Amino acid sequence: MNPEKPQLTIGWLYPTLMSTYGDRGNVICLQQRAQWRGIEVAVIPLDQTASTAAFENIDLLVGGGAQDRQQEIVMRDLRGAKAEAIRHQIAGGTPGVFTCGAPQLLGHYYEPALGQRIEGLGLFDFVSKHPGPDARRCIGNVVFQLTASRLAADLTKTLGQPPIIIGFENHGGRTYLGEVEALGKVIKGYGNNGEDGMEGAFYGNAIATYSHGPILPKNPFLADWLIQTALTQKYQQSITLSPLDDTLAMQARTAMFKRLGFDGK
Amino acid sequence: MAIKIQWADRLRLSLAVLAANTIAAMVRVLRLGAASVLPGTIASRIHPRALALLASQAQGGVVLIVGTNGKTTTSALLKTILERQEWRVAHNAAGANLENGLITALLANTSFTGKLNADSIILEVDENVLPKVLPQIQPQYILALNLFRDQLDRYGEVDIISQRWQKAIAPLPAATTIILNADDPTLGYLGQKLTQKVVFFGLNEPENYLDEIPHAVDSIYCPSCGHPLTYQGVYLSHLGDFHCPSCGFKRGDLAVNSSEWPQILIGLYNKYNTLAAGLTALEMGIAKPIILEAIKNFQAAFGRAEELEVAGKKVRIMLAKNPVGMNETIRTVNEINRDRPSPTTLMILNDRTPDGTDVSWIWDVDTEKLAAKGGTIVVSGDRVYDLALRLNYSQQPEHPFQLIVKEELSEAIATALEYTPPGQTLHILPTYSAMLEVRGLLSGRQIL
Repeated sequence: MNPEKPQLTIGWLYPTLMSTYGDRGNVICLQQRAQWRGIEVAVIPLDQTASTAAFENIDLLVGGGAQDRQQEIVMRDLRGAKAEAIRHQIAGGTPGVFTCGAPQLLGHYYEPALGQRIEGLGLFDFVSKHPGPDARRCIGNVVFQLTASRLAADLTKTLGQPPIIIGFENHGGRTYLGEVEALGKVIKGYGNNGEDGMEGAFYGNAIATYSHGPILPKNPFLADWLIQTALTQKYQQSITLSPLDDTLAMQARTAMFKRLGFDGK
Repeated sequence: MAIKIQWADRLRLSLAVLAANTIAAMVRVLRLGAASVLPGTIASRIHPRALALLASQAQGGVVLIVGTNGKTTTSALLKTILERQEWRVAHNAAGANLENGLITALLANTSFTGKLNADSIILEVDENVLPKVLPQIQPQYILALNLFRDQLDRYGEVDIISQRWQKAIAPLPAATTIILNADDPTLGYLGQKLTQKVVFFGLNEPENYLDEIPHAVDSIYCPSCGHPLTYQGVYLSHLGDFHCPSCGFKRGDLAVNSSEWPQILIGLYNKYNTLAAGLTALEMGIAKPIILEAIKNFQAAFGRAEELEVAGKKVRIMLAKNPVGMNETIRTVNEINRDRPSPTTLMILNDRTPDGTDVSWIWDVDTEKLAAKGGTIVVSGDRVYDLALRLNYSQQPEHPFQLIVKEELSEAIATALEYTPPGQTLHILPTYSAMLEVRGLLSGRQIL
C-alpha cells in the first residue's frame, strides 16, 4: 500500500447486462482521469463469472442502466455472498456511482411495467415502481443542484459555487425516497419521479442517480470527487488530485445550459 | 389479394390523392422542401384508409422492410432487382419511414383516379411503426434485418420491440413470408414464435469473425431462457453463429450459402443487406441470375456509403446513427485506411428528432479504434462538444491523433478537406439529419 504509486481498482457491475445507455462512459472517464494523473487503474467486471473475492476487493463501484429482462438476470446472480460483499462495501464507505437500473436494484424493490416485483438489496432506503407500459417515460436533458450535505459541501469548496449537474434522463420507473438523503434538487427535468423535485440519493459515499449522459464526463468534478474519496479511503490519508484541462467539458456544459435557457449559476 | 374498392371509397380516395399530389407539386415548385411526408398527412386526413386502399392494389405483392440498420440500402437493392425483372416498383426512397412517409411514397405512384401504377411495393418501415401499419397493409413479405439499440429516447428496449412485432405479425395469413436474419438471436427467437412461413439468411464465413464481442451489444443472453449464449463466432455486434448451452436454442438453418454470394458496396453489414434483398427476391420468384446481375450493377443508396468528388478530393459519406452502425463504419474506415498514414475523418453529431435526442450512445461506440489510427479527426454538429469530449477520452498515449473542433459545419467540412492528404479519401460519419446537411452543403444546395 504505497500512496506514492497509487493504484485504483474499479468494479464494474455486470458490464454486458447493465450498460444500455452509454454508462460505460463513467468507467472510461474515471479510468482516464486517474491514468492521466499517473494512477494505475484496474477495471474488474463484477458479473456472473466473477468470484465473491472480486466483489470484495474494490476501491470504487460503477453500475449502469439495464433493460427489465437483463435486470432480472442480474438479480438472480447478485445474491448471497456477492450481495453481502456489495452491501459491506457500500456501508463501509466505498464510493460508487449507480445509474438508472443500478440504483433500482440497490433500493428495497423495483416493480417493473410487467411481471413480478424485483427485490433489491435494500441498501438505499427507497422503492422504485414503473407506473405501467403505457405511462410516459421521463426523457430529456436534466439539470440539478447537488444538495447531499457532505458531497455538496466538499464540491462547493472546490468549485467556489454550488455544484450543478447536467445529464440526460430516460427512465420509465419512478423512485420514492424514504429516510435516505436526496442527491440533488431538480432545476430542469423530472428527477426521481417528476413529482417531489428530488433527484437521486446519496448514502455512505455512493451516488444513485437517474442521470445518464453519461453523468461523469460532463461533470468532471464529480468524477474527481469519487477518485479522491476512493484513494483517501484506501490509503487512509488525504490525497489531492492534480488539475486537468476540462475545457471541452465546460464548453459542452455551456452549450447545453444555453440551449436550456439556464445561466449555469 | 386486390380488394374491390367501393365507388364511394374510390371517390374519396381520388379526392385525397388529388389534394395531396397538388400540394406536393406546389411544395416542390415553391422549393419549400422535398415533400416527403406532407402529402401523406393530407391524404390520410381526407381518407383514413388511404394507405390500405393504395397498398391493396399491388399485384406483385407488398414487402415491408424493418430493422435498426440497413433498411434504406436493402430496399434500394431490392428495388433494383425487381426493376431488372421489369416490375414497376413503388418505394419510399428518401428514408421517410413513418406512416405519412409511407403514404406519400405510394401517392407518388398513384394516378388522380386513385389507381396505383406499380406492380409491387417496397416500404422501409420504422421499427415502432410496423405494429401500426400491419393492420392496414397486408404485406406478402416482411423482411427483418436486425435489432440493435437505437434512439432509446423514442423506443425503449430491443426486447419490447421484438415482442410488439410478434404480436402484430401473429394475425397475418399463414402464407405471409417472413424473411429473418438468423444471426440475430432476438430475430431467430421471433421466427420460432411465428406460425407464418419463415426463411433465414445469415453468414457462414468464419474468416470474418471478430476477435471479441464489442461492448455495444444488446442480446448475448438467450431470448428463451436468459442463459448467456455461446458463440461459435461473432460477425458484428451480437450477430453471429450462436447456441444456448442451457435450453438448446440455436441459430436457424440458412436458406442461402453466403460464401457463394457477392456483395454490394463495402463493409460486412452490406453483405447482410445483400443477402437480405437477395433472399427476399428469390422468395418473390425472381431468378438468381437476375439478382446477381442487379447486385453487380447496384449504385449506392441515398447517402449511405456514398462517394463524391469535392474540390479534387474524394469524399465518402457513411451514415453512423447508432452504436452498432458507428462501430461497423469505423471498422470499415480502418480497413480502407490500413496502409495509409494520417487519415482524416469528419464526425458530425446532431440530436434532432430523426437522430434521437439522447446522445449517450456515443459512449457505447469504440471510438478508441478510430483514434488509434492517428491522423486527424474533425468534429462538428449540434452536440459538437459532447462528441469532442468522447474523442478526448479515447486518447491512448501510444497512438496520438489530432482533434479539431468546429461548431460551424461548413467550416468543419472545409477544414477536413484541407487536412485530407492528396489521393486519400475523406470519410464523413454523420447522424441522419447531419447527413442531409452535409449532402446539401456538398451539392451546393440545401435539400430539406
